[in-house]
Amino acid sequence: MPAGGVRGVRHFLLPDLGEGLTEAEIVAWHVAPGDEVALNQVLVDVETEKAVVELPSPYAGSVVEVLAREGETVGVGTPIIAIDTSGEGEGTADNVPMLVGYGPSETAPSRRRRSGRRHLDRGGAPSAPTGSRPLAAPPVRFMARQIGIDLADVTGHGPGGVITREDLAAHLAGVAVAGPPPGEGPGRESRAPVRGVQKHMAAAMVRSVATAPQACVFLTLDVTPTMELVERLRANRHFDGLHVTPLAVVARAMVLALRDAPALNSSWDEATSEVVTKHYVNLGVAVAGPLGLFVPNVKDAQGMTLRELTQALAELTAKARDARCTPAELAGGTITLTNVGVFGVDAGVPILNPGEAAILALGAVQRRPWEFESAVALRDVVTLSLAFDHRLVDGQEASRYLTAVGEILADPTNLVAFG
Amino acid sequence: MATMSLSKALNAGLREALERDPKVVLMGEDIGKLGGVFRVTEGLQRDFGERRVIDTPLAESGVIGTAVGLALRGYRPVCEIQFDGFVYPAFDQIVSQVAKLRYRNEGRVAMPMTIRVPYGGGIGAVEHHSESPEAYFAHTAGLRVVTPSNAGDAHRMIQQAIASDDPVVFFEPKRRYWEKDEVDEAAPLSAVPLDRARVVIEGTDVTVAAYGPMVATALDAARIGAAEGTSIEVIDLRSLSPVDFDTIEASVNKTGRLVVAHEASVFCGLGAEIAARVSERCFYHLESPVRRVGGFATPYPASRMERHFLPDADRILHEVDRCLQAA
Amino acid sequence: MAIAQVRVPEAKISGWMGFDGLVQLISVDGQRTVGCPYWELVADVGAEQLRDLYTDMVVVRRIDAEAMALQRQGELGLWAPLLGQEAAQVGSARALQPDDFVFPSYREHGVAYCRGVDPVAMLRLWRGTALSGWDPADFGIATPAIIVGSQALHATGYALGILLDGAPSAAVAYFGDGASSEGDVAEAFGFAASYTVPVVFVCQNNQWAISEPVRLQSHASIARRGEGYGIPGIEVDGNDVLAVLAATRLALARAYAGQGPTLIEAVTYRLGPHTTSDDPTRYRSHAEEDEWRAKDPLVRLRALLRAEGLSDDTFETAVSAAADEAAATLRRGCLALADPPPGALFEHVYAGPHPLLEEERAAYAEYLSTLDPEA
Repeated sequence: MPAGGVRGVRHFLLPDLGEGLTEAEIVAWHVAPGDEVALNQVLVDVETEKAVVELPSPYAGSVVEVLAREGETVGVGTPIIAIDTSGEGEGTADNVPMLVGYGPSETAPSRRRRSGRRHLDRGGAPSAPTGSRPLAAPPVRFMARQIGIDLADVTGHGPGGVITREDLAAHLAGVAVAGPPPGEGPGRESRAPVRGVQKHMAAAMVRSVATAPQACVFLTLDVTPTMELVERLRANRHFDGLHVTPLAVVARAMVLALRDAPALNSSWDEATSEVVTKHYVNLGVAVAGPLGLFVPNVKDAQGMTLRELTQALAELTAKARDARCTPAELAGGTITLTNVGVFGVDAGVPILNPGEAAILALGAVQRRPWEFESAVALRDVVTLSLAFDHRLVDGQEASRYLTAVGEILADPTNLVAFG
Repeated sequence: MATMSLSKALNAGLREALERDPKVVLMGEDIGKLGGVFRVTEGLQRDFGERRVIDTPLAESGVIGTAVGLALRGYRPVCEIQFDGFVYPAFDQIVSQVAKLRYRNEGRVAMPMTIRVPYGGGIGAVEHHSESPEAYFAHTAGLRVVTPSNAGDAHRMIQQAIASDDPVVFFEPKRRYWEKDEVDEAAPLSAVPLDRARVVIEGTDVTVAAYGPMVATALDAARIGAAEGTSIEVIDLRSLSPVDFDTIEASVNKTGRLVVAHEASVFCGLGAEIAARVSERCFYHLESPVRRVGGFATPYPASRMERHFLPDADRILHEVDRCLQAA
Repeated sequence: MAIAQVRVPEAKISGWMGFDGLVQLISVDGQRTVGCPYWELVADVGAEQLRDLYTDMVVVRRIDAEAMALQRQGELGLWAPLLGQEAAQVGSARALQPDDFVFPSYREHGVAYCRGVDPVAMLRLWRGTALSGWDPADFGIATPAIIVGSQALHATGYALGILLDGAPSAAVAYFGDGASSEGDVAEAFGFAASYTVPVVFVCQNNQWAISEPVRLQSHASIARRGEGYGIPGIEVDGNDVLAVLAATRLALARAYAGQGPTLIEAVTYRLGPHTTSDDPTRYRSHAEEDEWRAKDPLVRLRALLRAEGLSDDTFETAVSAAADEAAATLRRGCLALADPPPGALFEHVYAGPHPLLEEERAAYAEYLSTLDPEA
């Protein structure tokens, strides 16, 4: 009984001729198209790295086409001859075009798409029986020990109940995990699920506080010249249609002062243990709206004129108020400006936008008695609060930066010095 | 620079060693006229003569034991064991004599012998021709064990092994014999020490450490991983005794995750030693346990099943995934 | 099986053993030699048996050639051809009783054939679908030994078992000239002689161990090698099927009679390459091969049969047809040998379950289930 397979034209593939050889050179053909060949009749001599070898035909039939030329080197698995076996009683089984299992078993790095790869719970992490000692990866344990947290006090939310860095951060931030203390009950309190923007903001705040050591410096100064400049710009035809505010000037001052303080425009890459200094400034501005707090950023603020910056800030602010910012606008910030003055307060200790090195809070501009030309006068006075990541910036650098910003605001003609 | 197969690179390296030092003598079965069953010694007997490239009777223990005597007489023997599965008759001479003679003689005697062993599977062979016995030798104090993964390393490392005054078991990945790569014949031997590992491609998410025939597989896995968004750093260990833990440590401190891949069975393979030591050195950097991928706890199977036994890129990536999933 | 079991009279054994020359009963040109005492050992071999021996050798040669072709066509990973050694294998194997036990090397396809092993079963290990092809107990022949010489010790130990059982049978080890250099073979001689076990060592000296000529292994006749251990040797023309049959019967008789081991050196020639991975043109001459082709075992027996009127065209056609049929059956069977399922790789490592293996097997099965089906 025939071994099966399709009758018709068959291809003989160059087989592996022993021990991992990957190719052979066609030395001499003994048949030509049109020739009748018998099973096992020698078709061709081939030469490998090891030997010259005769290849006998696996089929009986007539040669249709010789597919490799004398002198040509062909890889194992390449068809070298086509033989028409129709009308012949028996031939080899229809060879699937693959190596017959011999020689280097990898041809190309072919891969089977692995289905279900990213199922995070698939048997990877150990299961955590309740009541056992807390589970955490070595770096997390180390961190807990450094900070002084007892892992037994922390609830783990990783696979199998493992305690993660986020869990530690949440613990640090004091997010309540336990249920209501005794004595409380329904009617005496209200509950609202944490979701959406609030959830995101909360997580970001926690992450920021947990990973970066933050310190703050303050500068209270007389910015009356800036306020006067703002008045004049409002009447300036180049600023038609735009509502100029001190915020825009502060933004511009921040960007310019970064030129001499690149550390404040950097970020800490824990994974690679590198400080990444950005050569561009994506200036974030915190906007609180009815739908939540958003911090979109102006891309490449360093290249913008005051007018462009004013416009960009205005657009982003409007979008943020309506929760219309895109993820791209919300990501990639390098430094942030937050206006706490609109809420009527003088200063604050702002929390860094995660991944950034500094954040400047602008307080309310107040008329205050101040020293002016050796006398006491009512001046426009404001407090600037600069919080910074003490891994990246030290007190001196932060202070220098803040005073540089202040210098511009105290005398906006300094803007000209920067071009 | 020249492009040549790993087999030819070894041939060129052996030739240079024979030219450089008249005390170098090659011994083995079928290495003379035939040039070796893998042609690694092709042309050497013709060019250096029968007293420097010696065909031996068919006895592995005889080859190594005789070489011990030659070494004591001041020669520098380079012995070939024809296939990995045939090294065992010689095991006693290697472990009891070659590895220990310097120690037993309090340094008065040297064993500057190189023992070349083609190893590993993936060539569709019959029994005993696809073994990975490197762990037995790495476990034996007194021996150096190295394995090149590519032609360039092969060319340099064989010469360094021969020049070493310690006995070196030199494992040659036979399924890579015909793979071509660049060989810098002019580069000085001292450029890369014999016992140094090499970071072949850099990555940030997971380190995959491999050696010999598995390095190419690890590189395949890294390429596929990159397309999927996983950044894999591949280390070619090159030396199995000693192991370059400094290079591994630097990498694992960066990535926090390690997968060790070898053809040999996982149980008590080289991966076990590496996992233990990396756990000691990099404990606080490890985001997941060190994972190992290799052969099963079975003898090497019939060739039609070897693709199940030998780790492929998929199996490596499976372990990579498990590393990434851990908390 | 045509050859009868012959009871060799014990009393005459030493007489035959006293013969000290190359045992040859059929000359190279197919004539019966005169005067060799070994004729008596094959006195029972008549026309029918001679024709059967011839048929065996033709079929064995044809199967061997078909297997070579199958390897060149990519259906087998490797093959070690026995071309030229048919008489050494058929002649010795046809002397064996069913209860005797054989320990072959990796080239004894002719011996396995005579023991009744299905040729397709022999191919499993060469195709790589399994590590062995048959149950040794069914045919009285162990799986091929690829570690050279290891089987000599195994045969010795098996023979010790026969001795302890008091059974009237023998163990037979086949190995080549190259193997005679291995320590295991020397140790087997020592143990076999020390315990006087019923073992026959059949060394097919086919002149080559891959590329190494026999002179590299030994400067003295291999038949003489056993004498140092007290093991008598018989040097026989390995291409003379009758001589090999006679010598093997004698050695078996010694074993059954409790006289201990015998070493037979069957002088023959490996006309083909060591294996399909080898290229003999690199180390030996066509002239030498032609010289040995002239001593071909099949040619001389055919000549004898023709000369004695025991064969004609009808017979030869029938033999040829039998050979072709065997080849075709082999081919069909080979192509039908399927790959084993992945789980098979975990079987038979130990006698019973093993915790690590169970774990690995389960993990691998689970891993496979995460993959897309193979293309």
